[in-house]
Amino acid sequence: MTIRNFDREKCTGCGICVAACPMDVLRLDENDGKAVVKYPNDCVACWGCESFCPQGCFDVSPERGRGEMVSPY
Amino acid sequence: MQKLEDMGTVIATDVLVLGAGGAGMCAALKAKESKVDVLLIDKCGIGWNGQVPIGGGILAYIYPDDVPEWTEKVTRDSRYFNNQDWTHIMGQYMHKSTMDLADMGLTFLNKKGEIDILTWGPNIHVTLFDAPKSLVALKKTAESRGIRMMDKIYVIDLLKNDGQVVGAVGLGLVDGKTYIFNAKATIVATGNCGYMHEKTYSSVLGEGPAMGYRAGAQLVNAEFGSGYVWGIKTLGKELMGIHFYLYLENARGEKIMGKHYPELMVGNHSVYTFDPRVIDAMYKEVKAGLGPIYLNLKGLTTAEIAELAEDRVEGLTQLMANDTIVLLNEKAGIDPAVEKMEMWPRYLYSGGGLRIDTGGRTTLDGLWAAGGSSSNSWSGGGGGQAGLGVQSAAITGFVAGENAGAYAAANQRRDIDVAYAEGIIDRIKAPMQRRGEFDAADVTYQVHEAVVPMKYNRLREAGRMNEALGIVRDARDKLGRVGAADFHDLARYHSAESMAMAAEFTYKAALMREESRSGHFREDFPERDDKNWFKWITVESRDGAPHLATLPVPVEKYKLQPGQ
Repeated sequence: MTIRNFDREKCTGCGICVAACPMDVLRLDENDGKAVVKYPNDCVACWGCESFCPQGCFDVSPERGRGEMVSPY
Repeated sequence: MQKLEDMGTVIATDVLVLGAGGAGMCAALKAKESKVDVLLIDKCGIGWNGQVPIGGGILAYIYPDDVPEWTEKVTRDSRYFNNQDWTHIMGQYMHKSTMDLADMGLTFLNKKGEIDILTWGPNIHVTLFDAPKSLVALKKTAESRGIRMMDKIYVIDLLKNDGQVVGAVGLGLVDGKTYIFNAKATIVATGNCGYMHEKTYSSVLGEGPAMGYRAGAQLVNAEFGSGYVWGIKTLGKELMGIHFYLYLENARGEKIMGKHYPELMVGNHSVYTFDPRVIDAMYKEVKAGLGPIYLNLKGLTTAEIAELAEDRVEGLTQLMANDTIVLLNEKAGIDPAVEKMEMWPRYLYSGGGLRIDTGGRTTLDGLWAAGGSSSNSWSGGGGGQAGLGVQSAAITGFVAGENAGAYAAANQRRDIDVAYAEGIIDRIKAPMQRRGEFDAADVTYQVHEAVVPMKYNRLREAGRMNEALGIVRDARDKLGRVGAADFHDLARYHSAESMAMAAEFTYKAALMREESRSGHFREDFPERDDKNWFKWITVESRDGAPHLATLPVPVEKYKLQPGQ
């Protein structure tokens, strides 16, 4: 789990999240022009979409892989 | 043999800059001043990429008159282990770099029309800039100065001809095209390795040092700079502020810092999120069975919580802490005044990078490096001062850009060796030829198992580091059985490979350094050993395996000598 939640209702299709994604996880949908999470498994939780989305559509979780982060302890 | 054009889209330029973050953007802008063609590439959309826009917007600053004192302090603090030539360049360049960035469109906090320079410590100051919009602003300037830019291209390997770097190969993540760049000079500025573990600097995955290493360039300082910061576990983010440590408690509700560092509980102390004392206290408590560790601000008002963030730079950390509290409320649904939060040490970043000289040149002809991808020993393995990371990115970028630009203006472009390119592209695409048994995510997770635990990477010891290296070796074996259906899978494959390489270099160098110094701590060699280890460790590829060697710190050549 990385992009834990994407509130598509609020998306205006500005494209900043698409630009901000280093792994091409997000694309703009050809039909309605809003963002879509096209490659969810490629998310590196860099937090770019969540940081820069002017509408606050994204909630990114650092948990990935097996669902649990490796513990520092 | 195929023709080059049959292998991909060939694009020629004078200066190729890989990575358009703070360092790459500065390198491109400076290279352009030599009136050459400059092409800037990033895997992300340019303007929103790299680490600078998500950082704190702090840029270190030194008044030109204070440079000698500052250089001397850095040198003494590092116990003469730094590269004093680079420390001096850093100090000298800070004023010019700040003014250049302002000219290039960066928005600074102003006071009466001048950049507001705030006091941070003796001889060291900071300026504050609009971080989220910083690269958008620099991109606009780059466009207006005729710098070409291409984004969403994931560059994997460098191309060489007769030992000289002549370009690079990248994968178009959106268009599915293979790009072959041919350049007179190439600058690697893709950052170091954030391992995509915690949320923050997780988009830098060790690509630059890995491609430089594979091409034959030397890496240095891999054992230094591995960083833990303490932060909120569920949010994957730290809570900036210098007094929050007072409220850390164990599962029994005992204040942990008072137990281990009673002196910090009286008087006024600044304890940052990267403070090793907090990380070590957390570790000791958990190992004693008293975990997890919480930040307990229950019963405090919002104003009292904001006060805890107060810093010597007025308003700065308070602003950041307020941002985090908003995030907590809105994203995680946590109200810190009524609910305690689990905190843990977050492993963020590996250290070292491509070894550069005072002109930003790597040990390979035609290849320069800047920012996190490079390592110049200016701090001697230390660091930790807010704003020096961005300043270091800008200065190494300016230096590499200036020299690569001048080189490109004076030299002809050499062709790409077609057979070499074919070999490189075959290697890059090899996972597409096999049916995968594993996903690249499995390999990444295994790399995390080797680098994240503090028993391996902070409290280092030979037996445990060999165990960690075993995990990395397993991960690399597994990588040989990862397949790829498209360029997205390939990008994940290659990022897993560069992360595994970063981990391997860190542990090999850390095993070799049988002493403790700066951020490198060995339980089995707890003392600093200047007699045997007053030297930097380099890593380079020899017969397909990492070869480690040492370079004595040439302190006799420097201005400041120990014992003076």
